Amino acid sequence: MKNFSLQIVTPEGGRFDGEAQMIRLRTIEGDVAVMAGHVPYATAVGVGECRVVLPDGSERLAACCGGLFSVGSTTRLIAATFEWAEDIDTDRARAACQRAQDALAAGSLDAAQKASLQERLRRAELRLRVAETVDER
Amino acid sequence: MKDIKSRIHSVESTRQITKAMEMVASSKLRRAKERAEKSRPYFAALHAAMADIAAGAGDFSSPFMQQREVRRSCWVVIAGDRGLAGGYNSNVFKTALTAMQGKECCVAPIGRRSAEYFARRGIPAVTSDFTMIEDLTAEDCAALGDRLARGYLAGEFDEVNVVYTNFVSMLSQQPAVLPLLPLRAPGTKTGGALVCEPGPEEVYDAIVPDYLAGVLWCAVCESFASELGARRTAMDSASKNADAMISELSLHYNRARQAAITQEITEIVAGAGL
Repeated sequence: MKNFSLQIVTPEGGRFDGEAQMIRLRTIEGDVAVMAGHVPYATAVGVGECRVVLPDGSERLAACCGGLFSVGSTTRLIAATFEWAEDIDTDRARAACQRAQDALAAGSLDAAQKASLQERLRRAELRLRVAETVDER
Repeated sequence: MKDIKSRIHSVESTRQITKAMEMVASSKLRRAKERAEKSRPYFAALHAAMADIAAGAGDFSSPFMQQREVRRSCWVVIAGDRGLAGGYNSNVFKTALTAMQGKECCVAPIGRRSAEYFARRGIPAVTSDFTMIEDLTAEDCAALGDRLARGYLAGEFDEVNVVYTNFVSMLSQQPAVLPLLPLRAPGTKTGGALVCEPGPEEVYDAIVPDYLAGVLWCAVCESFASELGARRTAMDSASKNADAMISELSLHYNRARQAAITQEITEIVAGAGL
């Protein structure tokens, strides 16, 4: 299969810079997969798993939230947060999950607070899910 | 003589403090500098991608790109939590005040000094959740970016600017003003070659809060590195001044001591009647 050059950057530094066969990720509308030779394309990134297929056919899994995905001469994933499954701190994610759940259960929140807590919960759950998927393999 | 002795003591203890602060600043500076350098490619990539969409997606309009009549402007002013950093804080405020002149303003201060400064001047703050710059995370920046985007859409303010300090080098830091909103429309359109899903407007509107967060994060990283750089330089020169004072005072002390001994000998000799 043909390869294309892929760049993944976050505010905390680069996460990937090299060749890949395919990238699959969750946009605000649903999953997309991009392979070499795609038309110029741009979309906003949602909260979900991201899979990168490397030139040797192996697959890497990551948790990816928010940002911008654009396909041009190089394919760029500019993520707000992007963590490879093996880099995820499960204890921290579990604690964040618990905190968000407790705060939601405590009640007496306005709509904006509730939405931001639910968002946080969704991210923490995603991290845990991604980390567990890799452990099972 | 006792006076001089105690002066030397007090200068010495001051020197110890400035020396310690210099060490702390330089060890933190290395980390902050790395962080600032890491965040730069992100900002560059984000900026390039935003420009690509704006240029390549054909005609579309986003509320973030519309130029409105500016009645009220919002300023994100990034300064330090503490003083003792030479002219770092005052340079930021000077730049901010010059740029703010003649406008009705509100601020979103980052850093305790900044919050205190604008509270004293009676300029209303949009938010005061981000007053400590030292433990500000990328997530906090995302929250602030969200807040600014919502405030802008709701018409709370008609433009957003950020005042931060560019980390040029260890010895040179430059305060700067960066306009955030409204986004500037691109100069040239290359036609509708770029496919946007769901559509250019939706993509743009979803990305703007992230874009703001990215820019703010980079500005915070740059500013924090600058603060430490400025503090290190200031503390280094303070330690040097203290050294110079100590050596001058020691000279005075030794002279006084010698003069006292000489006088005593003279008195003894005179008293013995030799």
